[in-house]
Amino acid sequence: MTQGADKSIVILVILLVLIGLTAVYSSTAVVPPGLQKGDAALDPMSQFVYLKKQGFTMLLGILALFVAYKIPLKFLRKLAIPLLLISLIGLLLVFTPMGITAGGARRWLRLWPSSFQPSELVKLSMVLFLAWFASTAFFNREKFFLFLIPIAVMAVFQLIFMLQPDFGAAMSLAILTLTLLFLAGARIRYLFYIALGALPVLVYLLMEPYRLKRIVTFLDPWKDPQGAGFQLTQSFIAFGSGGLQGVGLGESKQKLAFLPEVHTDFIFSLIGEELGFIGAAVVVTLFLMLFFRGFMIARKTEDPFAYYLATGISLMIAIQAIVNFAVVTGLAPTKGLPLPFISYGGSSLVVSLIAVGLLLNVSRYRTAKPTRGLMHIGGTAEDRGAEPSLASKTSQYALGRGYGQYRNRAASLRRSGRKQ
Amino acid sequence: MAAINKSQRIRALVVMGMLTFGFLAVFYRLADIMLIDHDWYLHKARGQQVRKEINPVKRGTIYDRRGRELAINLETESIFCNPADISSAGDVARALAAATKADEKTIYARLVTNKRFSWIERKMDTMQARQIRDLKLKGVGLIPEMKRIYPKGMLASHVVGFVNLDNKGVEGVEGGYDRYLSSKEESKLVTRDAKGNHLSTGTNREIRGNNVTLTIDEGLQYILEKNLDAAMIKWKASAATAIMMDPYTGEILALANRPTFNPTDLSNVDMNEVRNRAITDVFEPGSTFKVVVGIAALEEKTVKSGTRIDCSAGFVEVGGKRIKDDHRHGVLSFHEVIQKSSNVGTIKTALMLGKDKVYEYIKKFGFGDKTGIDLQGEISGLLRHSDKWSGMSIGSIAIGQEIGVTPLQIVRAYAVVANGGYLVTPHVVKEIRDPDGALIMKAETKAERIISEATVATFREILKTVTEEGGTAVKAAVEGNSVAGKTGTAQIYDPKTKRYSKTRYIASFVGFVPADNPRLAMVVVIKEPKGSIYGGLVAGPLFRDIANQALSYLTVPMDKTNDKGMVVLADKEEKH
Repeated sequence: MTQGADKSIVILVILLVLIGLTAVYSSTAVVPPGLQKGDAALDPMSQFVYLKKQGFTMLLGILALFVAYKIPLKFLRKLAIPLLLISLIGLLLVFTPMGITAGGARRWLRLWPSSFQPSELVKLSMVLFLAWFASTAFFNREKFFLFLIPIAVMAVFQLIFMLQPDFGAAMSLAILTLTLLFLAGARIRYLFYIALGALPVLVYLLMEPYRLKRIVTFLDPWKDPQGAGFQLTQSFIAFGSGGLQGVGLGESKQKLAFLPEVHTDFIFSLIGEELGFIGAAVVVTLFLMLFFRGFMIARKTEDPFAYYLATGISLMIAIQAIVNFAVVTGLAPTKGLPLPFISYGGSSLVVSLIAVGLLLNVSRYRTAKPTRGLMHIGGTAEDRGAEPSLASKTSQYALGRGYGQYRNRAASLRRSGRKQ
Repeated sequence: MAAINKSQRIRALVVMGMLTFGFLAVFYRLADIMLIDHDWYLHKARGQQVRKEINPVKRGTIYDRRGRELAINLETESIFCNPADISSAGDVARALAAATKADEKTIYARLVTNKRFSWIERKMDTMQARQIRDLKLKGVGLIPEMKRIYPKGMLASHVVGFVNLDNKGVEGVEGGYDRYLSSKEESKLVTRDAKGNHLSTGTNREIRGNNVTLTIDEGLQYILEKNLDAAMIKWKASAATAIMMDPYTGEILALANRPTFNPTDLSNVDMNEVRNRAITDVFEPGSTFKVVVGIAALEEKTVKSGTRIDCSAGFVEVGGKRIKDDHRHGVLSFHEVIQKSSNVGTIKTALMLGKDKVYEYIKKFGFGDKTGIDLQGEISGLLRHSDKWSGMSIGSIAIGQEIGVTPLQIVRAYAVVANGGYLVTPHVVKEIRDPDGALIMKAETKAERIISEATVATFREILKTVTEEGGTAVKAAVEGNSVAGKTGTAQIYDPKTKRYSKTRYIASFVGFVPADNPRLAMVVVIKEPKGSIYGGLVAGPLFRDIANQALSYLTVPMDKTNDKGMVVLADKEEKH
C-alpha cells in the first residue's frame, strides 16, 4: 500500500525554495556603482540574471524531484553502486580538462551549458550507498572488516576531496557517513577506532598553514577585521545590524561588496540582515522541521533501506544547514558550504531537490497507521523473532521479491549472530 | 514490523538530540549577535556603510571691473591611498614616482602610514591623473579637486590674494572675501559599498561660491605693474608700491607691490613678497605731507593765498631745533610757500595753527587710522597724539617727518584735493553676485566731506600756478595732460644707529591727473633707489609714465596740448 507524498515536506521545501529565490534576487540585484536606478546605461534586465538562472535550475530540480519521487525503491537499490561510481568518475573528471578551477580549487565540472559540482552528488550517492549497504543481508554490525568497507569508500572520496582541495566537503562527508553508520547500529567501539585512526590525519591536515589560519581567525575574527577575519566580521555585522526585524527586504547594505559570497555561502547572513532575527529563526526552524519530519518518515518505514535512505537524506540536508549556519555565525571555522535550497548554485539545489524527491518517494511507503514510535523501546514483534507482519509482507512485495529474500536472510543472520 | 531494532531507535534519538542541540546552538548564537549585540553591530555597520561626504565647493570667479577673469578654477585630480590596502608599498611607490616624477622616498613614506587615508600627490593635471589611473594600483585612488588658477599670473597678486591647498582663501580678496567666494561646505551621509563607490547619492549638486568683481582694471593694473617693474630695474630698488585710485569713489583701479609673487605657485614664496606694502608698510611721507598743513591753514582761515610769510632767515627754530630750507626764499606768499615747498614757511604756518589744529587735520585726512579698505592686514600708520608731541614735533610733522603713513593713506589724502574735499573709503571689491548672477553686495561710495569746496578749489589753484612756473620734477610731466602732484623724499630711519640713514631713502610721488578734472589719484613709492636721491627724479618719471599710459588707456582727452608742464610742488627738501 502506498500513500501520497508527505505534504509537510512539500510545504517546507516550497517555503525554503521561495525564500532562497527571494534572497538570491536580493543579493544579486545590486545596481552597479556609478549607475542609478533608471539610468539609460543600466540594463533593466541585468538585475534578473542570477534570479533567472536560479529559477531555471529550480525548474530542472523539480523535474528531477519528480523522477526521484516516481522511481521504484527496488530499482533505486540497484542504482546505489552505479551512482556511486558515477560520482567517483565525475569527481575524477574534475582533474581533467573538463574541470574548472575557481578560487584555487578544482571543484566544478564543465557540463554544457553550465557547470556542475560533483561533490554535491557524492553526498547523495554516499547516502544511497550506505542505505543499500546497511540494508544488505551481508551487513553485520559486529564485523569490523564489514564496517571498514563504507569507511574505505568514504576515505577514497575524502582523498579526492583533499586533492581538489575541499576540506569542508571531506569533513561533512565524514560526519554524514559516521552518523549514518552509527544509526545503522555500528559498534561504538569501531567508530571510536576510526576516530582514533583519523586523528593523526586530521592533525596533519590542520597543520596546513591556511587551514590553521582559518581556525585562528574563527577563534578571534576581530583580530584582523580587514584581512583574514573580514568575511566573518562582515557576516557578524550583517546579522547584528539586522536586529529583531531586519533592515527590510532588499535593503541590505552588506551585500554592497562588504560581505563576500553573499549570494552563495553567506546568503543566510543576508537573510539575517534583511529579515532580522525573526526571518533567520524562521529559516532555521524550517530546516529543523524538515529534519524532524524526515526522521518521522523514516520511523514509519518498514524496511531498512527506506529507513536509512530517509534518515540519511534528512541528515544530509540538516548537517549541511547546521554547518552553514555555524560557519556564518562564527560557531565553526569558515568552509565553503552552501545552504541547501537557499544559496545560489545549481548543483546544490538540484541535488537537494532530488534528495527531497527520494524522501517523498520513501514517504509513500510509510505505514498507514502510526506505529509505536521511536520511543517504544520494546522493539517490534519481528525483532523478538515473530513472523513478519502483514504490513511488512506488503512492503516486501512492494520492494520486490529479491529484497524480501535478503531481508529474511539478514534477519536470520542477525538472530543467529546474537545467539553465538 | 519496523525497519530497525530497539538499539537503533535509541541511536536515532541520540542523533536527533545532537542535531537538535546544533540547531539550538544556532538559535542561541543568532540571538546573541542579533538581539543582544544589535546596537554594537549597528554602530559598526553605520561606520562602514555610511560615509559623511563633503561636497566640494567651486570657488567663485574673481573678475576685474570689466569682467576679465583674475582667478578661476581648474579641475584637477589628487591621488590618495588607503595604506591598509597596499600590499607592496615599494612597488607602488616606484610606479607612482615614475608617473608623477615625484620623489620615490616621499611617496613611500606616505604609503606606509597608519592612517586609513593618506594624500600622495595633490592637484595633478588630468593627463598625469589618467596615467595613474591606468596603472590600476590597488589601494590607490583619485578624486577630483578644484585647483585655483590665476590666469594673469602675478598681475594684481596682492589684491587678488591666494588660497591654501584646501582652497581656503588666505590673502587678499581671496582671504577677505572667502566667505563669499567659497560657500559653506555641505556634508551629507551617503551609502557606500565596500569599494568606496557611492550608491544612489541622489543629486550630486555642485556648490558654487559667489563671483566677485573687483574695482581693479586689468589694463590699468598692467600699465602700473609694467612701469613699476621697469623702475625697479632702473633704480635697482629694494621695494616699490604704486596705487591708482578713483578719487571720487575710492575704488582702487590698480595696486601693485614689488617684490611680488605668483599666487598659482606658492612653492617658494616668502612673506616679504606676499606682504601688501600698500597697506602694511609705513614710510615718512616728507614734503607730500605738506598738503595737510596747507589745507588746514586755508580752511581755518589762518592764512589766505596771498598772506605773506617771512622765510628770509632760511631756517626756523622749533623746540630748540633748526629746520632749514634748501635755499633761502625771502618773504613768500602762502601760495609760494606751497609752490616752492618751503619748509620754513610750512612750519611757520603750522605754528600759527597750533599743534591741536594740526593734529586735528592730520586725523581729518585719515592719518593714524585705517582707511577701511577691504583688504586684510591694513595698519593705521604711526601717529602720536598731539598731547604727546615734543616741542619740535609740530615742525617735523608739518613737513612729513616723525610720522608714518601707508601709501594708501597718502593717496587718499590727495584724493581729497582731487575730488573737492571728500575723504573716501578705498575699496577693491565692486560687487558680488551669486552664481546665477543675482546681486549680493554692491560697494557703496563712502565719502565724507572734511574740507570745504572753496578751500580745496583754492589749494588746487595754487597747484595750477605751480604748473605754469614749471618745477624741478619736469620729468614727471605728462604729455598733453596736467598733473597735480608732489614729490617726497624721505630718509629711512635706521633703528640700529637711531639716526636717519644718509644713503637709504624712499622716493615717492603722489598726485592726480588731469589736474583740472581729476580722473586718477595715484601714489608711487620706491624704496632705496640707487643713483638719484630726489623723488622728483625717481618717482616723478614713473608717475608720469603710468599716468600717461593710463589716461590714454582711459581715452581721457588731453587738457594741455602745448605744454609739457605739470603741477609740481618743489621737491627739494632738507633733512635735519
